[in-house]
Amino acid sequence: MDAAAFLVHEARLLDAGRYDEWLDLFADDGFYWIPSRPDQTDPWNHFSIVHEDPSVLRLRVRRLHHARVHAADPPPRTAHMVGNVTVTDGAGDAECEARSTLMVAEYRAGERRLLAGQCLHRLRRSGEGFRIVLKRIDLIDADASHAIMSAIL
Amino acid sequence: MDLSELVRPDRIHRRIYADPAIFELEMERIFGRSWIFLAHDSQIPNTGDFYRTRLGREDVLVVRDGAHVRALINRCAHRGAVVCAGDRGNLPGFVCPYHGWSFRLDGKLNAVPHRQSYPESFSLDDPRLSLGRVPRVESYRGFIFGNLAPDGISLIEHLGPMTAAIDNLVDRAPDGEIEQAGGIARLEYRGNWKFHNENAIDTLHPGFVHESSVASAKADRRDYADPTYDAHQAHTQLLANAFGPREWDAIGLVGAPAGHAYMGGFYKSGILAPTRNDPVWLDYRARLAKRLGPEKADAVLAVDRFNNIIFPSLSINAQYQQVRIVQPLAVDRTQLVSFCFRLKGAPEKLFQQAVRFLTNLCSPYSMIFGDDLEIFTRCQSGLANPTPEWLDVSRGLGREQRRADGALESASLSELPQRAQMAAWLRCMSA
Repeated sequence: MDAAAFLVHEARLLDAGRYDEWLDLFADDGFYWIPSRPDQTDPWNHFSIVHEDPSVLRLRVRRLHHARVHAADPPPRTAHMVGNVTVTDGAGDAECEARSTLMVAEYRAGERRLLAGQCLHRLRRSGEGFRIVLKRIDLIDADASHAIMSAIL
Repeated sequence: MDLSELVRPDRIHRRIYADPAIFELEMERIFGRSWIFLAHDSQIPNTGDFYRTRLGREDVLVVRDGAHVRALINRCAHRGAVVCAGDRGNLPGFVCPYHGWSFRLDGKLNAVPHRQSYPESFSLDDPRLSLGRVPRVESYRGFIFGNLAPDGISLIEHLGPMTAAIDNLVDRAPDGEIEQAGGIARLEYRGNWKFHNENAIDTLHPGFVHESSVASAKADRRDYADPTYDAHQAHTQLLANAFGPREWDAIGLVGAPAGHAYMGGFYKSGILAPTRNDPVWLDYRARLAKRLGPEKADAVLAVDRFNNIIFPSLSINAQYQQVRIVQPLAVDRTQLVSFCFRLKGAPEKLFQQAVRFLTNLCSPYSMIFGDDLEIFTRCQSGLANPTPEWLDVSRGLGREQRRADGALESASLSELPQRAQMAAWLRCMSA
C-alpha cells in the first residue's frame, strides 16, 4: 500500500465508525493533533483543539462505543474527502510525510456542517503498511468559535 | 411583565430560558448594570495594547492608555462601522476603515479628513463624536471589570466574598503575579447562558451526563507512577466525575445573596489533587514557600474550591489557573471563552498542566464538556415546548444553613446554588 492509499484507507475506517481499527493505525509514540491556531508550533504550552496520544485516544474511542455518550447520540455521520495528496521522504528511511487537503462533511441530529483544512501525516513504514507517528489537521477555522465536535476527523 | 411570577422558591418558569423578550431585559438589567469581567491586566500590559471582548450586547475594546484602562465601544461615531477588526494587538489609536476618522486611545475623536467641509458647529471635542465608552471600569488584583451603568455599587462591593477566589489564584504565583497565556478557547452552544452557570455547580449531573467518559476511564487502569503527561491528566480529569452520591454529598455548596456560588473541589486523586506530592509539585511548593513562608504557602495550596461563579458571567478555578467567561449571544445561543494563567515563578510543567486542563475541558473536542453542551442544547429544545410551563428546583430545599456572611451552604446534592442564582437574577431584573 502506498501512502496515498493509506490515507484513503484511514478515511474509510472513520466514515464507517471502525474506530478501533483506526486506533490501531497509530504508532505507540504517535499523536493526533488539531491545533487551535493556524501557525501553532507548540502543543505543550498552547491550547489545542485536540492533542492526544494513543493512550488517550483509546479513552475517546471507548467512550464513543458507550450507550450514553450524549454528544454523539445520535452518532455523527461523516464523509471524509482526502485530496491533493503529496508524499515526501521523512526523517529516517522508514518514515515519510504525506500532505493532503481534508474535507469532512458531518451530519448529526439535524445539523450539517463542513470542516476543512490541511492535513499532515508523518508515517512510519510497518510491514505492508504504515503506522501514524503524527496526524496534524490545520483547520481553516482553527481559531474560530466552534460548536462541540464528536466525529473524529 | 411581572417577573416575580416566574420565580418561586421551588419552581421557575420556562420563559426565563426561552422567551426572547426576557433575554432583551437581561441584557438591559443584568448585563447592562452588573460588573462584567472583561480582561486581565496581563492581556494589555503596554500603552496601546487592546483586547477585544463582549460586554452584554456591546463589542468592546479594553485599552491601556498610560495609567488608565478604558473600555471603548467598537463602533465608529460616523457611520457605525466596527473600527477595529482584530482580537488583540497594539495600536497608537483607532482609525475607521470607512472614511478615515481617527480616535485616540481614550476614544476621543482625533481628526477627520476634509475638515473644511464640515459646519462650524462640528467640534472634535464633541463627546457625541467619540467612541462610546463603558462608564465604569474597575479592577481587582489585575481582573478588569466593566459596568455599563454610570452609578451603582463598586466592584469590590459586588465581588463580596468572591475576592477570595481571585486572591487564591494570584497568591498561588511564586513571584506574586499571574499572566494569561496559552491561547483562548472559544465554544458556542445552542442554549441559554444561564444553563452554564447552573450546571457548573450542579453536583448531581456528573453521574448521568458524564457516565460515558467515567466508564471509559474506569476501564483503563493507569499507573500514576508513570510520569508521562497524558497517562495522568486526561485520565484523572475523566475519572474525577466518578464520585458516588455519598462522595458528592461530602462536598459543600455555597450560594451568596449576590448570586455568586462555588463548590468544594472533587479532584481527589492523581496530579490534580491538592494532596499531590510529585516532584513538579514539591518544587513548586518550595518556590511558593520562599515568598510566603511554608505555613502561608500550605494554606494557599489547601484552598480547594471548584467553579467559583461570580455572578453573572465569570467562573474561576484557582487551583488549575482556569477562567471561563459566559457571553450570551441570544436567548438560545451562548459563547464560552476560556483561558488559563501562568503562575509567574512556577515550574514550566505546572503551566503545561494548566494548558492541558484547558484543552481537556474547554476544547470543542472535550470528552467531558461536550456532553454538558449537548445537554444544554436538549434543554433549550425541550423548553421550546409551551407546556408544561414550570421547572423544579426544590432539591435540598429547607436543608441549607445560613452563614454569618449571609451566604447559604449545604451538602452538595442540593439545588441551593441554582436557587441563589435565580434569586439574584430576579432581584436584578426587578430593580
